[in-house]
Amino acid sequence: MNKFIQHIIRFVFLVLLQVLILNNIQFSGYINPFVYILFILLLPPKLPKALLLVLAFTMGLTMDMFSDSLGVHTAASVLIAYIRPGVLGMITTKGGEELETIGIKQLRFTRFFTYAAILTFIHHFTLFYIEAFRISEFLATFSRAFISSICSLLLILIIESLRSNSLRK
Amino acid sequence: MRNLFTFLFRHHVFFLFLLLELTALAMLIQSHDYHASRFASSSHAWAGNVLENYQNSADYLSLRKVNTLLAEENTALKNLIQQNSEEEQSHLEGNYQYISAKVIKNSYNKRNNYLTINKGALHGLENGMGVCVDKGVVGIVRDVSENYATVMSLLNNNTVISTRFAKSNHFGDLRWDGHSHEYAQLYSIEKYVDVSVGDSLITNSYSSVFPEGLFLGTVNRFERDEQANFYDIEVDLAVDFSNIDYVYIVKNQLRGERQLIESKQGE
Repeated sequence: MNKFIQHIIRFVFLVLLQVLILNNIQFSGYINPFVYILFILLLPPKLPKALLLVLAFTMGLTMDMFSDSLGVHTAASVLIAYIRPGVLGMITTKGGEELETIGIKQLRFTRFFTYAAILTFIHHFTLFYIEAFRISEFLATFSRAFISSICSLLLILIIESLRSNSLRK
Repeated sequence: MRNLFTFLFRHHVFFLFLLLELTALAMLIQSHDYHASRFASSSHAWAGNVLENYQNSADYLSLRKVNTLLAEENTALKNLIQQNSEEEQSHLEGNYQYISAKVIKNSYNKRNNYLTINKGALHGLENGMGVCVDKGVVGIVRDVSENYATVMSLLNNNTVISTRFAKSNHFGDLRWDGHSHEYAQLYSIEKYVDVSVGDSLITNSYSSVFPEGLFLGTVNRFERDEQANFYDIEVDLAVDFSNIDYVYIVKNQLRGERQLIESKQGE
């Protein structure tokens, strides 16, 4: 039950952080970090896959409501939730089944970095390409997605290391 | 039949995935349809509330800037009153009514940008109304709830604004290519038209959304490919989209009548 509340608090915190702060910061008009996917990354590995998809859908829909992007965030979030078990299987021996929770502490830095990087890049590229919806803007969209992915990844790693540090104490 | 259920159950994650992705794509495709009202948007009451409360507290930081802007606008309006009392007002101009609103959310760095404003259906707003500031055109009203509305910014894949040169009657479509929030692109200007840098662009009377003559921007750069029939024109937008606090919604009293007669032509 305690874990359940923890995930709800994390959901609300990340939504507010994304909507009220990050969506308003306009770095040079090119960079748009999305850290809300940390919620999907940190859901416990033992969670039924169907529930994982539904939770990612809820998160994406909330983001779409606040940023008027209609389905763009939803599509990208559901996609990374769907491939998440596969990515976990690649970086851990038993697909993360033996882990209670996911975090820098549990996976160690290198593995968590790989895990977060793969999902962040896939999420951002899906998102930016669906949003642009045009092949003619291929290169511009590519650079936007790439730079934003790196920014998001940095922020995600910072937030995650702060979180796991505060848990240790 | 039992085999079918076993099959469905075994792959239920995949089918759920397909279902959710299709829902998302359906929302996305529907969003390209201009008149459809949308399910998830920030004009929804609770999303609007969160954004408005936040904006209210953030407002204190920009009071000085807003004051200056309002004072400038006041002066401009006063001048306009003076001019108007001297000139005779044309019959058409009287059909437009302006409603002011405050911007509670704005973005300009996405491919499809929207603004959220704190006026809605209760104040007489409807889908498809034009939105402007004193400097120029901002966008078109999209979704309307009781107290809030979203505005499809000019900086949006789906926004096309019918425009013409102030000096001649040649007209074209203004769209945004997604690069810089300071520039938009003007299409469908044929190559025989005389274009020079600095030419002003204004709204034309072909659409019933904006009154004729609202300022849009000036020509910043243009190119003419020998093979192509049309110019590539880059327009320096009059409105600074990174800095919008208050907007006006243009309400055309005769829009319904005009649309009715125009729809008869199409049949």
